[in-house]
This record gives sequence, C-alpha cells and structure tokens, in this order.
Amino acid sequence: MPNQMGKRYTCAECEATVLVTKAGDGELMCHGAAMEIAQAKPLPSSD
Amino acid sequence: MILEMAADALGDRLAYGTRADGLTYEGLRAAARGIADRVDGSGAERLALMEPNAPIVPATLFGAAWAGVSYAPLNYRLPENQLEALLARIEPAVVSAPHWLDNKGTSDRAFPDSPDAPAVLLFTSGTSAEPKAAILEHDQLLAYIFNTLEFASAGDDEAAIVVVPPFHVAGVAAVLSNTYVGRRIVPVPGVRFSAEDWLITARDEGVTHAMLVPTMLGKIVEAMEADESLRVPTLRAMSYGGAKMHPSILKRALQLFPEVDFVNAYGLTETSSTVAILGPDDHRLALYSDEPLFQARLGSVGQPVPGIEFRIVDEHGATLGPDEPGEILIKGDQVSGKYVGTDSKVDADGWLHTGDRGWLDIEGYVFCEGRADDTIIRGGENIGPAEVEDALLQHDAISVAAVVGLEDEQYGEKIAAMISLRAGVNEVDLDHVCEWVRERIGSLKTPEVIVVVDEVPQTATGKLLRREVKRLLEEG
Repeated sequence: MPNQMGKRYTCAECEATVLVTKAGDGELMCHGAAMEIAQAKPLPSSD
Repeated sequence: MILEMAADALGDRLAYGTRADGLTYEGLRAAARGIADRVDGSGAERLALMEPNAPIVPATLFGAAWAGVSYAPLNYRLPENQLEALLARIEPAVVSAPHWLDNKGTSDRAFPDSPDAPAVLLFTSGTSAEPKAAILEHDQLLAYIFNTLEFASAGDDEAAIVVVPPFHVAGVAAVLSNTYVGRRIVPVPGVRFSAEDWLITARDEGVTHAMLVPTMLGKIVEAMEADESLRVPTLRAMSYGGAKMHPSILKRALQLFPEVDFVNAYGLTETSSTVAILGPDDHRLALYSDEPLFQARLGSVGQPVPGIEFRIVDEHGATLGPDEPGEILIKGDQVSGKYVGTDSKVDADGWLHTGDRGWLDIEGYVFCEGRADDTIIRGGENIGPAEVEDALLQHDAISVAAVVGLEDEQYGEKIAAMISLRAGVNEVDLDHVCEWVRERIGSLKTPEVIVVVDEVPQTATGKLLRREVKRLLEEG
C-alpha cells in the first residue's frame, strides 16, 4: 500500500516514528514489518 | 519542507488572500522560488522584510528558507533611523519588497537540508529592555509544527484571519501552521487595528478561525456590543494570546460567541510560539462549573503542548509544588533561547528561564502572572498588576488599564494606574473608580494614583509598555 502524505508511521518494535513529506509507492518497513499509521492526536488550533 | 508538502498535496487550494484573488499553494511556491532566486549571489545571510501582512510575507518567509538564509521580519512602523539600526545588527542582509513577487522563479532548486541553521530572527518586543534578536532554528519551528498539528487536516472551506504583524512570533507561526494544515490565510494589513474592519473582513471572507491579542479582542467585544449587525456567523475557533487576557473581557467575549471554540495560547518568541493551550472544553467548564478549581482556569494558560515541559522554581532554583508561585521554566525541542550576540537564556539542563512569574495547579494547568519584574512590592506585600488591571477593566467606562509601581517613601512602592476610556465615554469619576476597585480586591491593592489618557502605551500586539507607562506617570 502506498504511504500517505503528511501521515506518521510508527514501528511496533522500536517506536521509531517517520513523517511522510513526499508520498510514494513504497511501503515503510522497520524491524522486518510494515510500519503502522499513527492516529492523530487532535489539538485545537492556536494560531 | 512545509510549503513543498502543501504545494505537492494541495497545489490548487487557496493559500493566502481573498477568495477573489488569493494565491494558491502552487502560486506561493513559485513566488517563494522567485524570491530565493533573487537572494542568490547577493552575499546576504539574512533576508529582511518591513511590510504589513500581504502576499510578500509568506513568499519571503519561505523564499528565505529556500535560499538558505534567515528570515528577519522587522517592525515596519518604527522610524527610519531605528530600522536602519536593526538592519545594521543583522548584516549582511537584503530587504525583500512587494515587487519581488513579479519574479516568478524558474530555477530547479531543492530546499537546503540544514536543520540547525537559523531560520528566523525576531526582535523581541523589548517591554522591559532594549530589543534583542531571538534566533529560531528550522528544527525548533518544525518541532512545534510536527508535534502539534496534523498535515492537511483543514477542510477546503476553512480560512484563518491573521492580524498579528509578521514581525511577531505569532505572525510567523500563523503562516507556518496554516500552510501545514492547508487553511487559507486572510491577511489584515492592520497598520492600525480597527475592530469594525476586522469583523467585516471576517464576515465577507467566511472566516472560520481567528487569532487575536487580548486588546484586539477587547475592541471587537466593544464593537459587537455597540452594533448588533457586526457578527461573523462562519467563525468556529478563536485563539488568543500574546499578553495577559483579563477574565472580565473574556467572559463578555464568550457570551458574544457562544458557538465558538476558544483557545488560550501561551508562548514566547524564544519558544517558537505556543507552548501551552487552554482548550475549548476548559473554557466551557470554567464558565458553567461551580467548582472553584475549574472556574479559576479561565485565568490559566492551560496545559503544555506535546513535547513541552514546565517547571516552577523559587529564587534559588529549587522546584516548587502545586499552587506555589515562582519563575516559569520551559523545556522542549521547540525552545530556542538563543540571541544574536548575547548569551542563551537556556541553562545547562535545557530549561529556558522565561522571567515570567506563575504557578501550576494540582493538575498541571499553568497560570502566568506576567513578568516577574512587574510585581509591585508595597509595604512588603507582593501585588501582581494584572489583578488590579482586571478590577479596573470590570468598570464599564474603562477600555485599557496599565498598573505599575511608583516610588513611595512610606511603603517602598505605591500603585499607580493609567487608563483609557471606552468609545463614547468622555469622563469618569475617579473617586468612584477607586471605590469600585476597593470593593473588589481591597484597599491594599487599590491604586493611589489614576491618570486618564487617550492612548495607553502598548506594543503593536497589545502588550502594555510598562516602562513607558511608568516613565510618563513619574513625569506626572
């Protein structure tokens, strides 16, 4: 599955987090497994 | 990086300006590239700007990053000799101007990858001393954006009205954060703030988000109370910060905008903008709860944003417990504390010493009383000017109030107030004002001197210039 622009992906094993700044077709892998998309933590707009 | 992401993902969306003739994210990228091209070969390390809010502002901010130089927005309202003095302090610099937008860049260039490089130089407002140029690095600003926001999370109908000037950290943060979430910015040039113009622009442009400094919100509240036709039905979210918000003005605003989510944002130039937020639910709870802990939070700046820690210390640097006032210290990836040519305000353990006085409540909500050195000491009693100012502002004749300590032989300091009156009020009985304050906060905290003026000295963003107020009162 292509990675999604602007989304965070985390590794279940080592807790590494990446943020996609250029979308592409590749799958993000870490510790031999696909990284999972992290849920957004909504924060109210402040500026 | 922020502009590239927005232009790649949302290129056709309006980024900046009116619905009729705004600039898209793709258009902004072309404008920024054109500016970066012009900086090439100039030998400059800083790209200065002395313009009010207009398309040249975001184009210069992103163009500077693209060219690998620091962006230095200056207060265009300063007299020429002062502007020249500021420019001399950031040499070698070139100054960006609106006609630079005519140059649509064609170069095929990448954004430099230098996270530690100084991205933005901001002269602090200098309410208590000479202005200093604070340095914000790319990674500090990005930490703020990445930790607190979700990319492209704004709907395509969203628009944020921006009236804070570009040379204020909130003006920089407004461009970065709204670009990152994909929310159109509706700029107000705002050489002089007009509540009526603001309300009409916001209504006509279908504005959904607003950020204001407290004095501006005070004027908007006054204008809305005077004229019921001035309403912004599309408004959903209103944030305020930059100076102490007086609960009396906030309560009136909450009543005028019952559907709007209010957010109090606390931050410093040195912390890449917001470090604590009091959210909409906290505001509603404070307004409708009978519980004093929740009610008091209307005077709080909220809880730290992700990645930020707060600590309160006494004068010896020892950490204080809940509800004990002391100096506010802040730590996190978005904290800079570095200045051009002077020492960092960050200690060896990474804590920024803010010089602000405050405390944390039992759940970590931050209360900020203002600058530690603004505290008035009368007969050994510490008096925060904010409390006296709030009592004055509850009086329906008073628009702006500044309270300072003046030298007093008997008590060390005495309380003096400078006030300006609300629109349509020509005079006020000062004995009655004193009685009004005494009934609310007691005679110890009641000003012994009250002077009425047309305009209380403030910075462009509504911070009281206490040094100036004090000087004027001392001169009588």
